[in-house]
Amino acid sequence: MDNSKKNGSSEKKEFFLTRWVRRLFFPNKEMDIYTEEQMQSPVRVVIRNFFSKPIAVTALIIFILIAIFVFVAPNFVTLDLGDQDSTLVYVSPGYSMLKYPKELEKNGVADIAVGNNYSVGADQLGNIYVWGKSKLTKVIDLSEIPEEVKNAKIVKVAAGADHVLALDDRGTVYAWGNNRLGQTRLPDELKANNRSHDVAIKEIYASNQFSVVVTEDGRAFTWGNDNLAQIEYDAERLDGHVVSAAVTNFTYVLLLDDGSVVNPCFTAKFTVQKIPEEAQSGVKAIVGTTNTVAATKEDGTLFVWGAPTKGENDIPTLTAPIKEVGGGRYHLTALLEDGSVVSWGGNRYKQAEVPADVGDVEKLFVGSFQNYAVDKDGNIRTWGLKGFLFGTDGLGRDVFARLVNGGKMTMTIGALSVVIEMIIGIILGGVAGYFGGVVDMLIMRIAEIVSSMPFIPFAMILSAVMGTRVSIEQRMYIIMVILGILSWPGLCRLVRAQMFAQREMEYVVAAKALGVKESKIIFSHIIPNVMSVCLVSITLAFGTSMLTEASLSYLGFGVPLPTPTWGNMLDNAKNSIVIQNYWWNWVFVGAIFGVACICINLIGDGLRDALDPKANGR
Amino acid sequence: MKKYLLKRIVYLVIVFFFVSLMMYAIYNLIPSDPALVQMEPLRKSLKPDEWTRQYQELRQKLGLNDPLIVRYARWMGFARDVDGTFNGMLQGNFGYSISYKRNITEIVGVPMQNSIILNILSTVITLAITIPLGIYCAVHARKPVDSAIQAFTVVGYSLPTFLIAILFIYIFAVLLGWFPAGGAKTPGSTFTGAMEFFDRMHYLALPILVLVFTGLAGMTRTVRAAMMDTLSQDYIRTARAKGLKEKVVIYSHAWRNALLPVSTSIMGWMIGVFTGGSLVIENTFSLNGTGRLYWSALTTTDYELVLGMQMFYTLVSLIGVLLTDLSYTLVDPRVRIDK
Repeated sequence: MDNSKKNGSSEKKEFFLTRWVRRLFFPNKEMDIYTEEQMQSPVRVVIRNFFSKPIAVTALIIFILIAIFVFVAPNFVTLDLGDQDSTLVYVSPGYSMLKYPKELEKNGVADIAVGNNYSVGADQLGNIYVWGKSKLTKVIDLSEIPEEVKNAKIVKVAAGADHVLALDDRGTVYAWGNNRLGQTRLPDELKANNRSHDVAIKEIYASNQFSVVVTEDGRAFTWGNDNLAQIEYDAERLDGHVVSAAVTNFTYVLLLDDGSVVNPCFTAKFTVQKIPEEAQSGVKAIVGTTNTVAATKEDGTLFVWGAPTKGENDIPTLTAPIKEVGGGRYHLTALLEDGSVVSWGGNRYKQAEVPADVGDVEKLFVGSFQNYAVDKDGNIRTWGLKGFLFGTDGLGRDVFARLVNGGKMTMTIGALSVVIEMIIGIILGGVAGYFGGVVDMLIMRIAEIVSSMPFIPFAMILSAVMGTRVSIEQRMYIIMVILGILSWPGLCRLVRAQMFAQREMEYVVAAKALGVKESKIIFSHIIPNVMSVCLVSITLAFGTSMLTEASLSYLGFGVPLPTPTWGNMLDNAKNSIVIQNYWWNWVFVGAIFGVACICINLIGDGLRDALDPKANGR
Repeated sequence: MKKYLLKRIVYLVIVFFFVSLMMYAIYNLIPSDPALVQMEPLRKSLKPDEWTRQYQELRQKLGLNDPLIVRYARWMGFARDVDGTFNGMLQGNFGYSISYKRNITEIVGVPMQNSIILNILSTVITLAITIPLGIYCAVHARKPVDSAIQAFTVVGYSLPTFLIAILFIYIFAVLLGWFPAGGAKTPGSTFTGAMEFFDRMHYLALPILVLVFTGLAGMTRTVRAAMMDTLSQDYIRTARAKGLKEKVVIYSHAWRNALLPVSTSIMGWMIGVFTGGSLVIENTFSLNGTGRLYWSALTTTDYELVLGMQMFYTLVSLIGVLLTDLSYTLVDPRVRIDK
């Protein structure tokens, strides 16, 4: 006793954190069995035994870290369930989209073009650079620039969804990238080897699988996937008058030398081709986003038409006349005469949030979800979508955000279904074990029936039948209840067996003699004593519930999409194409889920060993 | 023994009917009305009250207005159907699948065969590996080899089957290219005889590998734990003390006693594989088995098929439980269950 008092007083002087750490990792010295019996309650012995197992403690720490991560991180990584974008499909992990090469900045920027998740740049010396997610497929990588392009002096570049155009100082255009739908198949007249010298190209545009070029003598050429996009060109009407073009996702419009914007196609399939009154004259420049076109007038004002979806037409009040406008996927960024920059439209990836310190801008390059501004000193400033930490999935959704929010969902379902299981199991097990006889018989037969039902098929049919007419949230609760209802028999049996042993103990007899109510004897006298034994079962049940929820979601009968859980995220990775090419869709979620499951099992094993009196070596 | 068996079988039958009644009740929660389906096209050609009258008549004729228990009895084959004959599950009428447009008994044959082949093969392979491995681990407990195998089994039984399946597809189908990632035979192939057999085995290899791997982990732990328990008994010490060969001690004295807990978990595991495991595996590898049939029936809301399959699953697991109990007597003559 003396010894322990000394220990106690010395502990008080210690800083509490050191004490905790010491207690956690370096438990008290071994006591002989008599001191221990005097000193420590069984629960403390169990806890000490548990913390003397390095593997179990490590597993516990890792699991707690994962749990904290999935419950805290969703507050910072919000998830928009309607969030998806066809241009962001299967983007590989990493933040490389705005990482321009340093040489480009050093040599001075001539032109930058932004494609889907990659960018192309040309410097003042005519060198060309590609950065970002330029690897489209296993064999097509846009950063593999053809030799002839490397040798030429490039002055202008254009980037489409999966192909790149480059224009050299002699008016020759080059194209490379995915050629499956004719994106790089130049018209014969424009090909470098048989181009007559009077066809000098002035402007180049590339969009979603098609390209438009405008020549010095006012003609336009188009090529690419004409099934997807309407890219007809009325040569008779327009030849000789074309000044520039604006490309949207599925079509294009032209600006003529008389300051009017026209639809160059024979018919108008898209709203942007219906040119409004204001654009019939006095237009200086035009630029396109996905579904809209913006035109700058001679007087520096701007207007937008087409089918705006994310506020592309909510032009803020401008402090100065517009010098130049760039269009991204859903946003527009304008450079004003005073060198300041304003931006509006879709802002999901902060692409329309101009950093406060961007000023004195000389050139502005906008596309997709990215912005590049070059100031007077030639420094490049960037803002917009940098990339995704864990990449994106088949619908262009951020895997990291889904992983974090899905983890919260999976763990919540696991925990709540265990609570349900505990409530049913402990009450029924307690009652059956305490009273015995007919009650026991009845409860055990019910338990047998429930446990003889095949688990996953039964959970599937319950989920399918009950889950069809309810909201996602209700369905989530239904899944929890199903898991709880189907898994209680194991715990029930355990509690019952423990009750049999406990109900003959002296303290129960004493409580009975004192006339304590039977419900009180069961639930406040006996159950607390058997809880430590149930702990193992509960820990493992938590793991099993998580696994079952994941299996159900994997089979499509758990929490339905678009709400993420770890199970239905892995469901997306069911086919070998995803497994092979888009590893980030299953590796990260598989790893965190696997680690969590392994940890729970290790904790359960550790607890079991800690509770087992035989394991203490006596 | 006979009395016990009889008691168990009676109990099994009662449980089966109880579960089937419950399943039938759940199935009836689904809003489906065959009378409405038949009458819907006539809605425009008849007057509203005439239509309602005919609709109610049809409901009466089809027996839809009868209480649940009566309909259940008809479906099961206890009571006369509306046409006056006994035509239920007990008479072999498991229902009609709306997605396959055939009787359920005609559909389930081939998938059942495939599933049974898959399960028997994986069970045999798993047991062939796991029993020697578990015994080895128990005999060499806490040595490096045992620790390594223990670490490996923790990973194996913690990870969900589908994660292991994805991992194995990546390793064996994508990286190494040894096995196909899914399917049952080479598309368009017309192999016969031995070639057909090998082709089929080639396609089954990866699913079996996954099932074996997942089964291996849990079973090895069970065998090891049971063996270690037995090896610490006094009679083992006695056997060793009287100079018996170690082989005899382990295989004759210890293993036969360890078999009792092992046999219980083997049956439990087999039931689990046959119901839950093959559902996941057959889905991942697109194999035509019962699991996939059940899954596709649920996704296409072909509920009569679902109900039939569910009965089948229930029967399998109930018989499994019975066999587990009976296996006790086979394994351990000391267990007397006839009292």
